[in-house]
Amino acid sequence: MIKTWELDPNFKEEIMNERGGEHLTACFQCSTCTLGCPIIDYVPTYNPRKIIQMSLLGMRKEVLSNPDLWVCLICQTCTARCPQDVRISDLLGAIRRIADKEAEAGKIKIESSRPIFDKAFQHQLAKYGRLYDMGLAKEYYPKREGSFFKGMMAMMNDYKDFGMRMFKKGKMGPKAMFPEKVKDLAVMKKIFEEMGEK
Amino acid sequence: MGIAVIGGGAAGITAALDLANSGYKVYLVEKNAELGGKMAELAECKVGLSPKIVEIENHPNIELMLSSELESLSGSAGNFTLKVSGTKVEAESVILAPGYDVFDNIAKSYGFGSPDVVTSLDFEGMLRASTASGELLRPSDNKPVKKIGFIKCVGSRCQENEICSTACCAYTAKEVWVLKERFPKMDVSVFYMDIRVFGKDEELVAELKDKYGVKYIRSRVPEVIPERGSLKVKYEDLKKGAIANLDFDLIVLAVGLLPSKTLGRLSEITGVKTDEYGYVETSITSPLETNVPGVFACGTATAPMKVRESVAQASGAALKAAILAQRTEPIPGQEERKYIEVGDEQKIGVFICGCEGEVSDSVDIPAVVEQVKQLRDVVLVNGDTNTTKEVLEAIESGIVDQGLNKIVFAGYTPREYETIFRDSVAKAGLNPYLLEFVNLREQCAWVHDKAEATVVAGDMLRMAVGRARYLEAIQIEQYPVIPKALVIGGGVSGMNAALGIADAGYDVYIVEKESELGGGLRETGELQSGEKASDILKDLADKVAKNKQITVYKNAKEENVSGRAGSFKANIVGDGVNEELEFGACVIATGAKEVAPEGYSGNDVITQAEFGKMLGGTVSANTIAMIQDVGVGVDAKYSSIELVANALKAKEKNHNVNIFVLYKDIKTYGKWEVLYKEAREKGVIFLRYETAPKYEGGIVSAFDVILNDDVQIKPDLVVLSTPTVPAEDNERLSKMFKVPLKKGFFMEAQERPKMVLTPVDTVNEGVFICGSAVYPAMIDECMAMSTAAASRACVLLAKNFMETPAVSSVVDELICVGCGVCVDVCPVEAIELTEELVPVVTFGVATVVSAMKKVAKVGDGCIGCGSCASYCPSSAMSLKHFRDRQLYAQLDYAL
Amino acid sequence: MSVTKLAYYPGCPSDATAMEQDMSTKAVFEKLGVELVEVEDWNCCGAAEVEDPELVYALNARNLAIAEKEGLDIVTPCSICYYNLERSNQALKADEGLRAKVKGIDSSLDYNGKIKAKHVLDVFVNDIGLEELSSKISKKLNLKIAPYYGCYISRPPETGFDDPDDPDTMDKLIELMGGEIVPFSQMKTLCCGGPLMMTRSDIAFDMAMKILDTAKSAGADCIALACPLCGMMLDGKQADIEKALHVEIDMPVVYITQLLGLALGIDANELGLNKNVVDTKDILGKVV
Ligand SMILES: Cc1cc2nc3c(=O)[nH]c(=O)nc-3n(C[C@H](O)[C@H](O)[C@H](O)COP(=O)(O)OP(=O)(O)OC[C@H]3O[C@@H](n4cnc5c(N)ncnc54)[C@H](O)[C@@H]3O)c2cc1C
Ligand code: SF4
Ligand code: SF4
Ligand code: SF4
Ligand code: SF4
Repeated sequence: MIKTWELDPNFKEEIMNERGGEHLTACFQCSTCTLGCPIIDYVPTYNPRKIIQMSLLGMRKEVLSNPDLWVCLICQTCTARCPQDVRISDLLGAIRRIADKEAEAGKIKIESSRPIFDKAFQHQLAKYGRLYDMGLAKEYYPKREGSFFKGMMAMMNDYKDFGMRMFKKGKMGPKAMFPEKVKDLAVMKKIFEEMGEK
Repeated sequence: MGIAVIGGGAAGITAALDLANSGYKVYLVEKNAELGGKMAELAECKVGLSPKIVEIENHPNIELMLSSELESLSGSAGNFTLKVSGTKVEAESVILAPGYDVFDNIAKSYGFGSPDVVTSLDFEGMLRASTASGELLRPSDNKPVKKIGFIKCVGSRCQENEICSTACCAYTAKEVWVLKERFPKMDVSVFYMDIRVFGKDEELVAELKDKYGVKYIRSRVPEVIPERGSLKVKYEDLKKGAIANLDFDLIVLAVGLLPSKTLGRLSEITGVKTDEYGYVETSITSPLETNVPGVFACGTATAPMKVRESVAQASGAALKAAILAQRTEPIPGQEERKYIEVGDEQKIGVFICGCEGEVSDSVDIPAVVEQVKQLRDVVLVNGDTNTTKEVLEAIESGIVDQGLNKIVFAGYTPREYETIFRDSVAKAGLNPYLLEFVNLREQCAWVHDKAEATVVAGDMLRMAVGRARYLEAIQIEQYPVIPKALVIGGGVSGMNAALGIADAGYDVYIVEKESELGGGLRETGELQSGEKASDILKDLADKVAKNKQITVYKNAKEENVSGRAGSFKANIVGDGVNEELEFGACVIATGAKEVAPEGYSGNDVITQAEFGKMLGGTVSANTIAMIQDVGVGVDAKYSSIELVANALKAKEKNHNVNIFVLYKDIKTYGKWEVLYKEAREKGVIFLRYETAPKYEGGIVSAFDVILNDDVQIKPDLVVLSTPTVPAEDNERLSKMFKVPLKKGFFMEAQERPKMVLTPVDTVNEGVFICGSAVYPAMIDECMAMSTAAASRACVLLAKNFMETPAVSSVVDELICVGCGVCVDVCPVEAIELTEELVPVVTFGVATVVSAMKKVAKVGDGCIGCGSCASYCPSSAMSLKHFRDRQLYAQLDYAL
Repeated sequence: MSVTKLAYYPGCPSDATAMEQDMSTKAVFEKLGVELVEVEDWNCCGAAEVEDPELVYALNARNLAIAEKEGLDIVTPCSICYYNLERSNQALKADEGLRAKVKGIDSSLDYNGKIKAKHVLDVFVNDIGLEELSSKISKKLNLKIAPYYGCYISRPPETGFDDPDDPDTMDKLIELMGGEIVPFSQMKTLCCGGPLMMTRSDIAFDMAMKILDTAKSAGADCIALACPLCGMMLDGKQADIEKALHVEIDMPVVYITQLLGLALGIDANELGLNKNVVDTKDILGKVV
């Protein structure tokens, strides 16, 4: 039972004010996005159309804490096909960013490690200007697992074969142990300060 | 001079014929080598259009310019000079009917190149082919198709084509219906977003779902995946709230309509403006006028639409164009005709037409010719013709050059071609009733295999020649046409129809039962286009008042109608009047009215019409629930449009108001789709229900099928879209004017089931209908239709005399399935269903087995209106001359 | 030939997991006589992990501005880099306010919309052209190939340069080189699962498996692709997928630049064909 008066009618504006969320209200609930989405074959509850409808109604809490938000591949299939140019891929990104802020503020709990990974990734960019795989892994795994030790174990588990394989092919040599840095690091810092998530 | 019609599709053909039949010279310009436009490609439609094409080809007033294009236009209204493929044409006015193109930029995700994914246009071709072969085969491997999926809105309501194509919901329903009729076991699913059909199409869809077991599934399907020899479609099973799959043998994409590619150039040449979607720009109050005076537009050139609306616009445009032109040509059939005396010597000519393969493919014509030659009194047998044009020429020269005095024609159905053939015979100087028809196509070629067909054809012809011997010339009586019209109802449609007829130069009487003109529109504040309804009404009423040819009777009603097309009589009774009027044609424009739906009550419950008025002032509500489509009555074509327009206005007035729309199908057809989009963009929330929402204790509750959950709203205003019901007087008028009603609305004459080429004509010749009296519609459609009704009335009023018909219906008991459709449509209740012993298995013409079955029986009351013939789904009814009927009775047993 | 010099944006994996792509790209362009000038001090495009569009625009404004100073269009072998560069280019070009905002961060982000970002595949087929290429091709690929395009070559439509559902740029190139395309239409643009590798590897593996399996059942000798993330998933992780899903796949995965290099007669090691994880020896044997 959805009681509309208990919902947040401003949620749609909140999303539309977020970059990428501008086209939310154009949606006419046609299902194109959902039916073409590759994820529906793996996550039966996954339904971008429904996330949109819930957002339109103002079901802020349900939407932001929906773990399905985090399985989107950003593959753009939905965006390419949406007849109303809703740009679902970007839109879900906008909703994820709102969710992330809420989680940071301790208001909701996100049941996905994806925000941790994305942030760890961005931290590498802010720091080095380029992706530093080791740095990313070192930040991501411990945060995901909740402790440094568990994190390292998980990382070992994921990487032991893979790392070896890469190493054998000369793709994970000693060079990869150190970050490749952009010379003009100051500008990276500025970019993230001005545009990045606060 | 004359009138140039650009485009020879359904619209162009209709406009040209209306004009030519009222004595105007017409130049019909068609860029293709053949007439017919898109309709010629449609399975069921072609049959309906062909007789009109034949009429045009043989029309003395029409100069047909095929494979031609307009190259330049100069001058102004009343005096245009056109260059058409190098030829100079002078015309007083121009009608643009260049039609549409279909969407062809189809996403590869529909089948990834599989030949079993076809467009609806291709599918029409497959359906047509299946008529002959009796099978529907899959293109990839020629295996019979068992499961078909239709995907709607392909290339409509999307980024490449923002608007709704209007026709595809209905044409898909028609295709599915034809399919299910032909292949009852076919498993059919239709994937859709909103079902945008009205009136009869709405009933058809309901029937498809309930009776034919067609699955209508709400999903805009984006891909079709070829998998293990079939086509997989994923859809959302909203009931289960899960994704599901279905496999199909064939997928049909209901492709959308786009403005004709030639419109750009036409617009450059003529200076006619196109709108943002690429269609000719017209307005809601002048749907047929372009920005260039003297240049009119009609049909799918102005917006995507169905044939019915296209041809209504075409008739309307014809009148507008005619008003600017001089009548210079004689009206066909109005010339004095002298017929040759038929002496004792019988000279029978037999003409067997191949009908473009439809007969010659199944019947061995040369063999039949040999047989027929042996028959007594047959002096000429011609089996060499293949088209109607050829056979008509052959018949004419047979009469003129060889002195034939009885004609037997074997080929197409008499139902659609009878008039053309009789007219042709008459023109050649033979009494038109000395012609005998043999329906070789429907009754022989289509129902028998080749070996059998030739035998049956021989038998049928032998009998026909026998009958022809007994045919006698019939004296045709003429009576003068009274050049005046009666318009019933003084709303927008009635006033506009009256003005149209008056502008064409005829006297018009308007009878209005209320004390003032204006009708339903008086209740409306602002139109969806922004214009004030009262301005439009005032403008029309002023014009009516100023027009000396129009007499208005207010507070009055018509009684005691008698007579027939061209010469009617009625009494006008009312406030201090009781006059007898005589008129040649009548236009019924009684409108419709809204009713407050039941089940919702409270001070805060109002109708959309009331809300529309409220929007003129202040709206204090913070949360508004709009509920669509409830109660008895019909869903007006403007209902969804009114709803989204009002919601949008309310949002524009106060951005913070919460508006929830509870809907079943949002039917913002055509360009109105953008209003729907704007409403969403402004933040109106749309919730889809399947069972009617409830309003209790200040709470609206509905089960939202999209969220698969109950949704509750606490509105401080509930706005209802009200159902529309027919005007009270329709029942009485129906009896008086012998025009049947359906659900209380007037019914047009149909060429064949599910197909309307004469949207404002009725089964009672001379009585025309328009506006919401036919179906509650938007103003632009009412304006177009009422001009069309005026146009059709003027075609009749232009004649000096009419001929008394002497025909009635006969049932072919062999074919009749006893469905009873004719019983329902007969306006004079002349048909009943009876159990009779009839042949059920025949060999040739010999009855092998007889059995009792239900068949229709036509009684003596029949007025020969032809309704039953046009509605009969099995083509068992046809019109026959009285004398024919007697002959049938005498001869068929004797021979 | 219209293209003689391009700015080269290698992307982050270029010196690690996708070094063979970097190597082969450089070798091929050299052979084709197109000079590549590496974007000086380029920074990461944001990949798929930076979701805020404006942050992506700012990051790439810097890359674009550097190339713009050289007056060169940017070419990249990575599909995500291409997407990020080109969408930033289009957004910045179209929106003066955005340009000003980005420039406000730092003057090195002052980009004026004068260049374009291009994917190598686009450059090969549409700029250099098949005719030109065919004149330089010296070897025939006697291979059955499953062309895998992934997400960003043809999606979203603003940046995509091929049909979103059934692209054929790579097909044309492969056919030119004598390769045979196996039936693969429905897989061509299906996501490889890469974006979920780190957070939902279960899904990612299943998705990659679908692609590998289809190629295998279609009888492909190898999969050809044009994105390092797809490469990582389909090649780098193939052994992990085999293990997790208990299957044997053994499907070589090569970059289209490597295949083109072979056809142009470049030495296999110079193209990094010894760096692909799944062994490519069988492929090399079929290049004649
Ligand atoms: C698959 C499909 C099925 C349909 N089924 C139905 C149905 O069952 N019922 C229904 O009501 N509607 C149906 N429709 C819609 C129907 O086809 C149209 O409403 C109708 O054909 C419109 O007629 P028209 O004369 O306006 O246009 P058209 O039929 O397109 O005719 C326009 C004509 O103008 C000619 N022309 C164009 N430009 C020029 C020029 N510059 N100079 C000279 N000539 C020119 C064209 O060659 C063409 O002959 C269907 C549509 C489709 C796509
Ligand atoms: S495809 Fe677009 S319009 Fe359709 S449901 Fe998804 S977001 Fe809404
Ligand atoms: S971008 Fe996300 S929601 Fe859209 S199709 Fe890809 S996985 Fe599905
Ligand atoms: S909703 Fe409109 S565009 Fe879609 S199928 Fe129906 S009529 Fe056509
Ligand atoms: S033709 Fe005769 S029987 Fe048929 S509907 Fe008309 S009146 Fe009735």
